[in-house]
Amino acid sequence: MLFRMIRGALVRQWSKMLLIALTIALGASLATSMINVMLDVGDKVNEELKAYGANIVVKPNDSSLLTDIYDVEDEKDDALATAWLREDEIGNLKAIFWAFNIRDFAPFVTVNASLSTGGEAQVVGTWFNHHLSLPTGEELDAGVRGLRTWWDVTEGAWTDEQAEGGGAQVMIGRALAEAQGLHAGDTLTVTGHEGAFTATVAGVFDSGDDADEQLWAPLDAVQALAGLDGKVASIEVSAITTPDNELARRAAQNPKALSRSDYDTWYCTAYVSAVCYQITEAISGSVASAVRQVAESEGAILDKTQLLMILITALSLVGAALGISNLVTASVMERSHEIGLLKAIGAHDKAITATVMAEILITAIFGMIAGYFLGMGFAQFIGRQVFGASIEMKPMVIPLVAGLISLVTIAGSLPAIRMILRLDPAEVLHGSRA
Amino acid sequence: MTKRKMFFRMITASLLRRRSRMLIALLSIGIGATILAGLVTVYYDVPRQMARQFRSYGANMILLPEDGALQQADVDQALEQIPADQLIGATPYRYVRLDMVTRQQSFVTAGTDFAEVQKTSPYFSVTGAYPEKQREVLVGKNVADTIGAKPNSIVELTYRPGRTQAASTEHKPGDSIQGSAEGYNHAPVYVTAKLGSDMTIESISVDASLQTEEIGSKCGEEPFTSQFIGKTLPLALGEDVDALTGATMTSQGVVDALNTAVTVDDGAQASYTLNFTVTGILETGGEEEDYFYMSMDDLETITGERDVLDVVELSVSGSSDELAAESEAITADTPGVSARLVKRVTKSETSVLSKLQALVFLVTVVVLVLTMVSVSTTMMAVVTERRREIGLRKALGASDGSIRVEFLGEGLFLGGLGGILGAVLGFVFAQVVSVNVFGSDIRFNFWLLPLTVLVSMAVAALSCLLPVKRAVAIDPALVLKGE
Repeated sequence: MLFRMIRGALVRQWSKMLLIALTIALGASLATSMINVMLDVGDKVNEELKAYGANIVVKPNDSSLLTDIYDVEDEKDDALATAWLREDEIGNLKAIFWAFNIRDFAPFVTVNASLSTGGEAQVVGTWFNHHLSLPTGEELDAGVRGLRTWWDVTEGAWTDEQAEGGGAQVMIGRALAEAQGLHAGDTLTVTGHEGAFTATVAGVFDSGDDADEQLWAPLDAVQALAGLDGKVASIEVSAITTPDNELARRAAQNPKALSRSDYDTWYCTAYVSAVCYQITEAISGSVASAVRQVAESEGAILDKTQLLMILITALSLVGAALGISNLVTASVMERSHEIGLLKAIGAHDKAITATVMAEILITAIFGMIAGYFLGMGFAQFIGRQVFGASIEMKPMVIPLVAGLISLVTIAGSLPAIRMILRLDPAEVLHGSRA
Repeated sequence: MTKRKMFFRMITASLLRRRSRMLIALLSIGIGATILAGLVTVYYDVPRQMARQFRSYGANMILLPEDGALQQADVDQALEQIPADQLIGATPYRYVRLDMVTRQQSFVTAGTDFAEVQKTSPYFSVTGAYPEKQREVLVGKNVADTIGAKPNSIVELTYRPGRTQAASTEHKPGDSIQGSAEGYNHAPVYVTAKLGSDMTIESISVDASLQTEEIGSKCGEEPFTSQFIGKTLPLALGEDVDALTGATMTSQGVVDALNTAVTVDDGAQASYTLNFTVTGILETGGEEEDYFYMSMDDLETITGERDVLDVVELSVSGSSDELAAESEAITADTPGVSARLVKRVTKSETSVLSKLQALVFLVTVVVLVLTMVSVSTTMMAVVTERRREIGLRKALGASDGSIRVEFLGEGLFLGGLGGILGAVLGFVFAQVVSVNVFGSDIRFNFWLLPLTVLVSMAVAALSCLLPVKRAVAIDPALVLKGE
């Protein structure tokens, strides 16, 4: 009988029930999309912040201060460094615990060389889009294309190492290109202490920093200039990291001083200090240190963005909740006649409450299902439009939204039903308290 | 009773009689208006607030000399081109190489303003503290590791003059001059002086330490040296200046040294040594770790040069277009100063900031659309419930038009009230967000208040009209019968 009454109500009053379902669907879709976006916004913004370039620099641990401080240009030794990292170990970066968080990396060797156009210049050897095949079977491209996103290539294009003849292409800074009268497509010979190579200028770039006066060439070619086969001076790494907290700061001082459980927590969280520590372990004779300008700022901006999204989500959830409970209250009160009639013909309060609640909850379930899918659509729309990537739909959102909507629906309908039940059926039916 | 009076009476009566229903409608509109006012305010202010956050990436504009060095006066003129509320910090830097004689090492030392450093480079991580007093230094981590410095240790730094440039006895105003001559018993005296703009001696220091102790060496001290101030070269002993009693030979030596002194390049003076207390160790992960940092005053004391800068780092909160315009204006209008944007920072900031702005925009639009639909469904439910009343009124002879106008009036009233309520609550929400997230007050847009009220009134009135239109279209008899 109960089932029949409920079905009857749903079928007879389909338009009213549709309105309730619609509102619940809107509320549910709002909650679904906002919670999903909120949970994923950290990762997405973190990806965007990679535009600022490397946040970790790996250097040999006994690297002398000579180069950096004195700008020494030793006549006998063209290479501006005295200790080296091994090129064949760079792949180890992708074998550390946080390998998945390492977005891009590139090795660097800088030497002084003379150009066939008559000048001298610092020549930076690096990877542009170097293809790596790791022992684990992973294939990836790494290099400065992902680390120097702020470069404007004003002439020509980025060097493509994987293209035919890509190994003999160089890129040249704007200031150096002007001084030497070089343009994209020109050919020049670069002569170093131990060798020379001839290359084509693939592109001219404007970097807005010291690189404007440098020549950037493939790593192998520059190593050959100074007889440094297999050696690199530094590696820049761009990693996705978690903003530092108090534990991370303590660990940065000395990881060995942490308690066992703190150490495990720290090691297994993507703090920049933990990633640095693991890189130091993976590459022999190295010291990895955080580039504070990038690492700290990322943390600050991530925290702010997440907090902003949490507050906006909270406001929209409150809005959705009040909207739903409002409508449910209104629709229950509208049915005062029906409820009065049921009471007049002898229905118990409990039975009436159960019937009305069941009707509304069934409607709510349909609304919720529709709303969840609608919300998924909204979340993906935001993800595609803003970040050009899909928002990860977390399964935990489903029970969260379901619980929230049910609670709101019950909170909206129960007090209204109670209020009507308290009224005298005769009065309600007469219409004086309609 | 006039028609208008009756109209208002009907509206107020209907609102008062149906308190609970109207409260629901009002609440619903209020929520909608709160979300509208709150989110739109946040949306408009987020770029400004976020841009400030992005300034933690450090300087985004640098001032460089067109040639030689920057003059303080030119820099001040350049800074006037940037609106004061956009300029977060301007940090002057002057780099010189100072020696640690005891260790036979030399380090780049930057003179700067530490209060500004903390604004333009908030990412500097200092173990210890920033220098506050004179004769204090901040030491880069690499330097500290090399020399074994810790907070509170003392370092002795020496400034050695550079090579003499175009040595000439022809002087110009403002030149620093340096000379030496024989004093008593063929022992040399050394003189360094600075000429003022009128070619008179502005300051002088005499090194007479190789002369007879307590006699000739007094020529290196007051009051002997002070009588040279304000005099014009060449000088004659006994006419322009008086010899020090008992040390005529040394006095003559000082005068000879001055008369034969040559112009030395800026920064080339007698070596000068000072002791500094280390207040903190600087960690940045960049080349800053290889430097000493001291206050500009200390650096000027040790080098003897004033108001000369190598570079000024600016942190400016503005869009990339504004920054580009400002840097062009500075380069064009200020002689001797060329402004450059730090591409790495400005370009990345523009790309990330535009994404964030788009995010808040889309979220705002989605939330607003859903909220407005939700508000109108509630309003529709509240109005649909009154179909009987509409039927009754029609049966009593009310025209369709008058019924519509009455409901419209009700909707507008509720919309206006809810809109004002919501606008106030929305501003409160925006303020809470701003204080919690960004730690600063939000900037209110006054026009949002009437806009919120108007939108609320429009949504409320429109969502009233639809069900009323449907209700009046039906035969009153059917409506009253309840079908």
